[in-house]
Amino acid sequence: MNTNEFITRYRRWLIIVPVIVTLLMLFPLSKGKINPDLMDYLPDGIEANINNEKLEEIFGKYEPILIIFKSDDILSSETLDRIYQINNELKYSELVDDVMSLFETKYIRGDDGAMLVDPAIRLIPETNDERDQLRQELRDNPLAYKLLVSDDFKYTSIILNANEGVSDEEIFDFISTTLKENPGNEAVYLNGLPYLRYEVQAKATRDIAILMPLGLIIMLIFLYLSFRERRGVLLPFAVVIMSIVLAMGLMPILGFDFSLIAVLIPIMMIAIANNYGVHIMARYQELNAKNPDWTMVQIVTESLKQLSKPILLTGLTTIIGVMGLIVHIMLPAKQMGIVSSVAIGFALALSLLFIPAIMIKMKKGKPIKVYTTGKKSIIDKLLKWSARVAVNTPRRVIYIFVSFMIIASVGISRLQVSINLEKMMPQKHSLRISTDIANAKFGGTKNINVLFEGEIMEPEVMKAMDRFETQLEGVKGVGSVTSLATVIRIISRSLNDPDSEFYDKIPDSRQAIAQYIEFYSMSGDPEDFEKLVDFDYTKAVLSVQFVASNIDDFNRIESSIRELVDKTPSATLVAGQCLVEKEMANAIVKGQIYSLIFALVAIAILLWIIFRAFSAGLLGSIPLLVTLICNFGLMGWFGFQLDIGNSLLSSIAIGIGVDYTIHLFWRLKYELSLGRSYAEAVQTTLVTTGRGIAINAISVIIGFAVLFFSGMMILKTFAFLIIFSLLLCLLCALILIPAITILTEPKFLLKNGKSVNFIKD
Amino acid sequence: MRTILITSIAFLAFAFHGVAQDAREISDKSSKVIEFEAMEMATNLYIYDNKGNSRERQVAVATRKFGDVTKTLMRFLSPADVQGTSILIYDYEDKADDMWVYLPSMRRTRRIVTTEKGKSFMGSEFTNADMSRPNLDDFTYTLLGEETINGKICWKVEALTKSREMESEYGFKRRVSYIEKSTYLIQKSELYDRTDKLNKVMTLGDYRKQSNGLYFSYQMEMKNVQSNRRSEMKVKSFQLGSKLNENSFAVSSLEK
Repeated sequence: MNTNEFITRYRRWLIIVPVIVTLLMLFPLSKGKINPDLMDYLPDGIEANINNEKLEEIFGKYEPILIIFKSDDILSSETLDRIYQINNELKYSELVDDVMSLFETKYIRGDDGAMLVDPAIRLIPETNDERDQLRQELRDNPLAYKLLVSDDFKYTSIILNANEGVSDEEIFDFISTTLKENPGNEAVYLNGLPYLRYEVQAKATRDIAILMPLGLIIMLIFLYLSFRERRGVLLPFAVVIMSIVLAMGLMPILGFDFSLIAVLIPIMMIAIANNYGVHIMARYQELNAKNPDWTMVQIVTESLKQLSKPILLTGLTTIIGVMGLIVHIMLPAKQMGIVSSVAIGFALALSLLFIPAIMIKMKKGKPIKVYTTGKKSIIDKLLKWSARVAVNTPRRVIYIFVSFMIIASVGISRLQVSINLEKMMPQKHSLRISTDIANAKFGGTKNINVLFEGEIMEPEVMKAMDRFETQLEGVKGVGSVTSLATVIRIISRSLNDPDSEFYDKIPDSRQAIAQYIEFYSMSGDPEDFEKLVDFDYTKAVLSVQFVASNIDDFNRIESSIRELVDKTPSATLVAGQCLVEKEMANAIVKGQIYSLIFALVAIAILLWIIFRAFSAGLLGSIPLLVTLICNFGLMGWFGFQLDIGNSLLSSIAIGIGVDYTIHLFWRLKYELSLGRSYAEAVQTTLVTTGRGIAINAISVIIGFAVLFFSGMMILKTFAFLIIFSLLLCLLCALILIPAITILTEPKFLLKNGKSVNFIKD
Repeated sequence: MRTILITSIAFLAFAFHGVAQDAREISDKSSKVIEFEAMEMATNLYIYDNKGNSRERQVAVATRKFGDVTKTLMRFLSPADVQGTSILIYDYEDKADDMWVYLPSMRRTRRIVTTEKGKSFMGSEFTNADMSRPNLDDFTYTLLGEETINGKICWKVEALTKSREMESEYGFKRRVSYIEKSTYLIQKSELYDRTDKLNKVMTLGDYRKQSNGLYFSYQMEMKNVQSNRRSEMKVKSFQLGSKLNENSFAVSSLEK
């Protein structure tokens, strides 16, 4: 039974089954769980994560949320009143575990032979004298100055930690209500990982929910303008929608949560799935115009005859390119690899069976003008031009590409892995502003914790912590270092006179340290040390707060910490959220490189097998290499940092890039088999198959362009890069590969192996 | 801090019968009959965290009233690290307490000034407020009814702080006490926080009759139901009266 008979016989089934499958997939879709916390998806072996968990076990989960207030003078009664109210409402909420602020931190000092422990602000000052006195006190208070109030008294912060089990949404709803109920003139900015997570989920999902449909509509309009036929729009579009539904529906069925990365799946399906349908439509229009007397069945049969193999092969290579993700170290990337390869398979089947099944019963459309009249659209003119350039000046084309690639590749050395997640947000976002403030005024937003184990009250251990503090505070970028040693020193200052030998020192005996602590506990809270030392004083944590705007700063500070740790036997573990983020970013990038190598090699081998020539594999890999190198190089030049989203994009680029090449080779082979010269073959291929490629690429490009409207930087750069990648793939297919073909006249295109036999009849 | 420690854990076995009383009267009576002029005791303080780890402190306490001032001397007996650390408290009728701490490792005495009674007592779940007799006028009392606690028929009396200031001073919004009808001994107190959520439960037990007819609780427990931490105080020995003279309660004697 040939294709035609098969489709005619099972026509109904070929339409009904996919529709039912799609509808059924809508059910699991509603049960999908969203989990925006990428940290949850880290593989087990990540050291920083293991260390973090160990630390959390001892000291509890600590994910601080910062609320920063900005005012001309933080100490004005109005401002302090407001902050006091907010502070209390937060503190007494069931959602909040603990709150730190000027009203909560202590002011410990010695005064006339007495040690005084008070809240840093006992009373809200009402006169200028009172204000000045408080200002001086705060300057003298190492537990407040530059930690909770900036040196210019324009900024202050409330730091809170939500109770375990409280969702991001609950806590931020509560914070925003509390802020609204206590209005004031102070500008308020939020910061902290939970806030980032919350904003990413809220903003990214909202943007995608609004912009994706918009993108799809624009794509529809473009497809209509290109094909001038409703079927040319609706059929490829139906394939896109159905395969997106399948991919997303598969997630809950396979037990996958929707992660931040999952939003890339529909984007990827839009870019890939409409490909196949568009080529069939383009070929149908071409045949319809050239053979006015053919019936619809004849046209569809012939289109399929010519296209089923290249489409099948493009699908296969794309699936293999995407399957590269399955070897990725990050679970969501693996999951993306699995569901999208299944969905691409589905799109492939739909394009080869579902679309023809519908088309054979349709009336013939009016032949399109390109093929009948001399009238040319812009795309057709561009295709003509590119054919001319490739045929007439192939060397120049290659030179231009090579020099562009060399320039771009220099940029790769400037490419950095992103360590500042807040950069995902637009410039004016609260998170960006608050990060700038925290970096400039409060010692930074990054935190590395060092665990000390042993008898913490032993002077040796306590002095080691103190040594960390003095040495690290001299490291550029380090804002503050806090540990139990800090408090012991403060106690020693308030307990001893400045001329005493004990003043501002860690005592030399264990008893004295124990007595200092006991002494403090007579006037402080038992919880005061909870975040610094465990209950039986065998484990303590030292926390280093710092600013790092790029990975080099980060590595410099990290290594000065690690150097000290290596020299200190009681320092046993280094942990911190930022280390996890760094390790994760590295893992993603490394994972992506493995995936790319796998995909490149697999695709090259596949091309080698398909065209039975090693040179085919080589030539076919060129567009992929060009795209990858230029993509990463351009990122380096523009200062885009590699992040979770855009590093996965290269897989999409590979999946698409290879399709264009295969279609091109296939048509070239066909044209050459008709006895045409390389130049003629290239010209015909570009205006025919090239048209399908161009329509496909441009429709996807303008579809993605809507992401520029997103507020999220991460989506904007993503859109920019994917558009750039697609454009490069397109240029490679339409200019570079034809030019190389003209120059090298590859033999594999001439071979009349089995694979092209059908074209001859 | 009035008469720290002893006043709230000691009660007179003074029988009131039959007369219908209001809540304030009940509290007033149960409070008035607990005035100890002097006493000495050795007590163990156990502090447990929410994982069951414990810390133990042994403290010797002596209290004696001189005129209007109740003076209390506490000395750590163990653990070894803090052995000899002493605290001296002067509890005045009309002004804030004075408090000194002697640190043997440095042979120095330092005064501590702290304004909040709601602060922890020696790092335990007990607060300084729990250790002293509250001022009756700081609260509004309501009789909530009767309840039987451990087979003892008790009045259930609520004491609600009169202002936010009092609330932050005492560290709770309201306290519900279960006072045994026949003896006026508090069996249990529940402390509610600012959001009116149960925060701590104090249980008193092992009341022993002393030679002067007073009862004294040898065992107190304070459980923080929110953080799941608890502290226990067990009296090892108790003696009415104190042989220490006023000089022994002088700041200068701490360092001797």
